[in-house]
Amino acid sequence: MFQSVRLSMAWLHTWFGLVLGFVLMVVFFFGALSVFDREIDRWAVPQSRFEPQPMPSFDMVLRPVFESMQPTREAIADMAPRVNGPMPQTYTAIDRMGAYTTHRDPVLELFIGFDVPGAKDPEEALWAYRTIDPRTGASLPDDRLKIGSEFFYPLHYSLNLHWRDAGTWIVGAAAMAMLAALVSGVVMHRKIFREFFTFRPDKTIQRSVLDLHNLTGVVALPFHFFFAFTGLVIFAGIYFPVGHTQLDPLHQLSERLEAAETGLPHERAGVPAPIASVDAMVAEAQRRWHARGMAGEVGFLTLQHVGDANGYVSVYRAGTDRIALTGEGIHFKASTGELLREDPAPGAVGSVNEFLTGLHLQHFRHWLLRWLYVLGGLTGCVCIATGFIFFVEKRKRQHAKQGIQGARLVDALAVTTVTGMVVATLCLLIANKLLPDALPGGWPPRGDLERYAFWGGWLLAFVHALLRSAPVAAGRLSPAWAEQCRAIALLAPLAVLLNWIMTGDHLLRTLAAHYWPVAGLDLCLLASAALALLAARRLKRRASAAPALDTVKTGVTHA
Amino acid sequence: MRITGHHPLWHPLWHPVLRIAAAVLGGYAFTWGFIAFGMASLFALGMPFHDAEHLTAIIGVAVYLALLLWAFAARSLVRVWIVAAGGAGLMAGAASLIQNHLT
Amino acid sequence: MLAAAMLASAAGMGWLALAMEPHWGQVFGGRARRRGTIRGLRLAGGLALVLSLCLCLGADHPSMAALVWIMTLAAAALTITFTLSWRPASLRWLLPGG
Repeated sequence: MFQSVRLSMAWLHTWFGLVLGFVLMVVFFFGALSVFDREIDRWAVPQSRFEPQPMPSFDMVLRPVFESMQPTREAIADMAPRVNGPMPQTYTAIDRMGAYTTHRDPVLELFIGFDVPGAKDPEEALWAYRTIDPRTGASLPDDRLKIGSEFFYPLHYSLNLHWRDAGTWIVGAAAMAMLAALVSGVVMHRKIFREFFTFRPDKTIQRSVLDLHNLTGVVALPFHFFFAFTGLVIFAGIYFPVGHTQLDPLHQLSERLEAAETGLPHERAGVPAPIASVDAMVAEAQRRWHARGMAGEVGFLTLQHVGDANGYVSVYRAGTDRIALTGEGIHFKASTGELLREDPAPGAVGSVNEFLTGLHLQHFRHWLLRWLYVLGGLTGCVCIATGFIFFVEKRKRQHAKQGIQGARLVDALAVTTVTGMVVATLCLLIANKLLPDALPGGWPPRGDLERYAFWGGWLLAFVHALLRSAPVAAGRLSPAWAEQCRAIALLAPLAVLLNWIMTGDHLLRTLAAHYWPVAGLDLCLLASAALALLAARRLKRRASAAPALDTVKTGVTHA
Repeated sequence: MRITGHHPLWHPLWHPVLRIAAAVLGGYAFTWGFIAFGMASLFALGMPFHDAEHLTAIIGVAVYLALLLWAFAARSLVRVWIVAAGGAGLMAGAASLIQNHLT
Repeated sequence: MLAAAMLASAAGMGWLALAMEPHWGQVFGGRARRRGTIRGLRLAGGLALVLSLCLCLGADHPSMAALVWIMTLAAAALTITFTLSWRPASLRWLLPGG
């Protein structure tokens, strides 16, 4: 099929890169935003704009909240088909409950899993969730969409397409294509070192776009490679569910061995028992971490088999001082507070795995590294976007002569995934601020409307890009690029303005109070607006001077 | 492109499809076999189950990538299919044999 | 400490770039290089990158420092490249009197 290895790699790079590049664009852009997901949550949910809090007292604050939690009517209806017999209206038997926080979270997330009598899979629980203000225990409205952690972050790894994990599979294929594109790109690139620092903005578009593509690909190669790689490793259990299918019997065997070794009961005893002071167990766990020389904030607290004699409490550390995702879990008997087990230090394989997953999931406390990750993610966006533009530039005159619509379609899709994606994001932020706190009866939940604004905005951007793409078929530049840049320059300051009007937190106030989550997002929005305006101007100048488009554009619209 | 014989499968239109299928599906099957065999044999050698799972997943991603690239770079598509399908079958079978022995 | 590490990375990348013929030309025009200069620039560049790694290691746990360093290198290379494209003369401070 190919004359040489180099040609085969070029084919692979071009076509896998093109087809899955559109997905990769989404993954990189929303991955970069997810680095600051909690901060975006603060912007989106004004009730949560206060300083990050430590895990509150279980006995005083959390326990009464847990006792008031019940599953939603939707969750009950959702589980009904997987249960023999009718669903009860209230639930009391708690299989598992817990609270999770990080060093960046002012609010605390609680979850609770109820046993359902007659469940076809006895392991399946019925889940309920609650977000509280840990200072008072008061609940936050649960129809508010946490845009960062509940929308952008899952979009990054699952495209928010949850049917049979389809989105996660597509993202996995894209990550694999990224790895293949990186290796094949290195094979194709003849002057990796000689052109390491090369970017020539004044040459032809095709040349300068290729410079930018090579530059962003090569300079951030370790970042691109390791993030695609570790992303695949994190979800390896979904992509290769060997342990739950072919080797399930082996898995069961190892679980039995493990339960015997750890001494943590796998089943309820069926004997009711009270819960001793969990605060005392937490204090004991912190004392033990301190003795090992580790920072001792609690990140994750769970209770298993609640109210049963076999119940136990697990306390995990928020490992902010390491890359590795370590919890150093300590487990206590719930009824007495007696120490059951201290998790041993991970072995060699465990350490490597914790490092690789921790590198990607970033639970550490290091603001410089977070910003460098954002830079890496945006570099990836520029790399993919310039790849699209190079593809179009290389072919559009040829296609124009032959009357083929290929370059035109790719260009419209590129507009949609580059500037259109930013437009969609801004639509979501604006909807978040425009929608009233209390919606009229019969409307969909507030969070759903915010999602519709995102997808609707994106669809509009796509239709616009398609409608305005005719000049590409004639070998010229699509006006959609500049028009969507102008839309960004308009929408981004609008989001900042609406945040001021609806919450009263304008930049002078947030900056004066050093409240960076909100001030930072506002500043980024204004910066993107300025860059988009600059890009629109340059595009206009290029379009009127010659049938050429400016390369800076792609770099700019993503900042 | 070198066309061998006149079998319909060697029609030029089919060739890229078979090549991509070899890379994506063949590579997947081979990697599945590799992970299953690695997990079963490492567990049999005394490594904890989840450690074996993580280690083979990490190496498995690299194996998949290598096979994907090779499927495009290799001259003979037949050889790619033999290695991918044959390797997958052999390793997955061996994994099940080890499992039957242990449980 | 991390600011110093970023500065060292940028200087190191700058010196490595200056050791290359076309970039030397961008910054210093047609001025001829002495024979030892290239080797000196390469050495200085390499040493500055190593210094940057040491500074990162001084600031954080080694696992974190390695990542910070690698990302710093990428940021430095991008900075130097864009400076070469748009404001090459501003890199002259890297070699006063060169």
